Amino acid sequence: MALLQISEPGSKPEKPLHRLAVGIDLGTTNSLVAASRTSVVETLADDSGSHLLPSVVHYSAELEPLVGQRALDKLAIDPANTIISAKRMLGKNLLDIQADRDTNKATTFLYQFNRDNSDSIPQILTVAGLKSPVQISADILGTLSSRAESVLGGKLEGVVITVPAYFNDAQRQQTKEAANMVGLNVLRLLNEPTAAAVAYGLDTNDQGKIIIFDLGGGTFDVSLLSLQRGVFEVLSTGGDTNLGGDDFDRVIMDWICAEAGLGEITDSKLFARLRNAAIAAKHSLTDMDVVEINCENWQGVFNRAKFIELSADLVNRTINTCRRVIRDASVSVDEIDNIVLVGGATRMPVIQEAVAEFFGKRALTEIDPDKVVAIGAGIQADVLIGNKSAKDFLLLDVNPLSLGIETMGELVEKIIPRNTTIPVARAQEFTTFKDNQTVMSLHVVQGERELVSDCRSLARFELREIPPMVAGAAKIRVSFQVDADGLLSVSAEELSTGIIAEIQVKPSFGLSADAIEEMLQSSQENAKSDMEARSKGEARLEAQQLIEAIASAIEVDGGLLNEKESLLIKTAIEELRRAKTEGGSVEIRDLTEELNRVSGNFAARRMNLHIGTALRGESIDVIESSSD
Amino acid sequence: MQTINKNYFQLFSIPEIYQLDIGLLGENYRGMQVEMHPDRFVNAPEEEKMRSVQRSSALNQAYDTLKDPLKRAGYMLELQGLNVEQVSQHDLGIDLLMEQMNLRESLDKLPKNESALNALNRLKKEVLEKLNSREESFSNMFMDSELATAKKIFHEMQFLQKLLIEINQGEEQRLGY
Repeated sequence: MALLQISEPGSKPEKPLHRLAVGIDLGTTNSLVAASRTSVVETLADDSGSHLLPSVVHYSAELEPLVGQRALDKLAIDPANTIISAKRMLGKNLLDIQADRDTNKATTFLYQFNRDNSDSIPQILTVAGLKSPVQISADILGTLSSRAESVLGGKLEGVVITVPAYFNDAQRQQTKEAANMVGLNVLRLLNEPTAAAVAYGLDTNDQGKIIIFDLGGGTFDVSLLSLQRGVFEVLSTGGDTNLGGDDFDRVIMDWICAEAGLGEITDSKLFARLRNAAIAAKHSLTDMDVVEINCENWQGVFNRAKFIELSADLVNRTINTCRRVIRDASVSVDEIDNIVLVGGATRMPVIQEAVAEFFGKRALTEIDPDKVVAIGAGIQADVLIGNKSAKDFLLLDVNPLSLGIETMGELVEKIIPRNTTIPVARAQEFTTFKDNQTVMSLHVVQGERELVSDCRSLARFELREIPPMVAGAAKIRVSFQVDADGLLSVSAEELSTGIIAEIQVKPSFGLSADAIEEMLQSSQENAKSDMEARSKGEARLEAQQLIEAIASAIEVDGGLLNEKESLLIKTAIEELRRAKTEGGSVEIRDLTEELNRVSGNFAARRMNLHIGTALRGESIDVIESSSD
Repeated sequence: MQTINKNYFQLFSIPEIYQLDIGLLGENYRGMQVEMHPDRFVNAPEEEKMRSVQRSSALNQAYDTLKDPLKRAGYMLELQGLNVEQVSQHDLGIDLLMEQMNLRESLDKLPKNESALNALNRLKKEVLEKLNSREESFSNMFMDSELATAKKIFHEMQFLQKLLIEINQGEEQRLGY
């Protein structure tokens, strides 16, 4: 017979405490908030029933800022005080933003900026004062959190905010700052594709490898994850920050222009009408095979076959990125078990069909591709705050861009390669370049290229008070630590003295989406020229070391040389110095060789002299062990 | 900084052999991350959070080393006190250099367009087969405590691995991405 439970008088049976935590998808165009209400996590709607909050803030002189649709409504009337796409400005300085404006896509930043601080956080002049992208993002987050608190009926104890996988350190930091500004406790920053996988993973309790195919309005991201017994492991990520749903609208627009004989469009109103016609046609093709277009007194028929033809290049680019991501993880296409679609643009049948063809199976579409990221973040928030059992699941994410340090010759030594699981700590030892060098300056960079100038500078700091030693004798251990939010800290330690310098990388600016794209692409295209540049850098370094070694040898043992020998060596040094600044790697190497040759006898004589001295003063095994 | 007194094999409670059970390694790794990952310490005091970041990082480092056949081989040699950074002339036999030269020549000779893709694929297969057979002999030599030979095979594997990376790059260039 079953035993009855009897509770102590006065005590209540223990009821698990449900703590309020939400997931927030802070998007460039729209934002969403999701939470677990009963047993499922769902996105929360505002009073008027809409889930998507346009990521727009309108500032006015007297009233509180407007956020969302009401702000968007002000865009036409008061564009200077209506801020859209603030996410694109996060982690950047004014110069970065101006650079963005020069490229065709970022025509959105037409605001008045405070010009006094062009190399730090940008500030937009509005009637309500100066507003930074952090402040604007904070206003959006604030609106979402009050929506959540009124729907859920209580105070939020924590939030998970999603960020693009390619967000760099500065962009992540500022996302966190924005949340802190409105008093939100950030449990974790979560990569958007990972969040999407989480949204599907828990419900189906799957096992296997998953591709997250995220085609947004202006960017494209692919991630490969593996799921095993509730543990998500990100195997690799990749993307194209200049490819999005907008590009598909564009090919239809171009087609209409050509068919209707409109020529080049310069009128912005005509451009807007064309764009609307293109978008309408694209949407209709989601459910129909043929659509009629009426535009500017022109009528035409547009069908799916034509759309497939026009968008073939764009579709190919998405598939190529998938191929690369799969290859990065050393996985083959047939090992992929599931494909998750994210972003409204993935509703296009051309995309769904290309994906199905490449992977040999259809993508999952049960969850609304606009909401899937927020839902995943909501699930993760629920787990982190402790509502779900710890054993339920775990996320093992990766860092999307390589992190390294500048070494001599302006080369990058990668310390943490991209696609390494985080958190991660890696250390590498470096040494001094000159005799008696007491300061070492460290330059932390992010990117895939071999030359410092092609990567993004994250931070610089110095290690001082290194005890004077001969070049190459000091041992400096540089340690990189990336935490689970993808944030980096670096420290350097001189091993003999234990002197330490460290820095939390918090740069005042970050990478623009275009810059990341450019860096990734050029790292592939330029692998070869990088090698040449690297070879030149190394040749220069070798030359410099030889020149310095010989110069200091002459200082000590110059007496071993006759006048002619001395002149020969000096000329060779001069020649090499010249080649070092002007010449290519081959010339530098040849002249280094030449200097080696003319100084060979000198080196031999010195060696004999010093071995003689050493033999008299020291035991044999010291010499043996120092000569191997 | 956190130090782990166990070696990576002991850390994951798996036998200290080269041809290990990758499935078991992954399972144990994930099981330990479930306990140690910073996500489990979100509401913990700062000090515990930091300890979790260090432990979780160390686990990642260990897993990263053991799951990769080349890194695993190097690590096992290091555990035996060998310095794998140091390559002596003795480690590189003339037969290895000849083999490398032949493979590289066949790689360089290939046309720089898509027509080379099939040939690249064949070359890749060949290198992979060589790599597999080296892995097997490494395992045998290591078990027989023939460490010098094992080290020599390890360096051969390094060469082959590098070649494989170049073949992959060649493939990517020809595919245009």
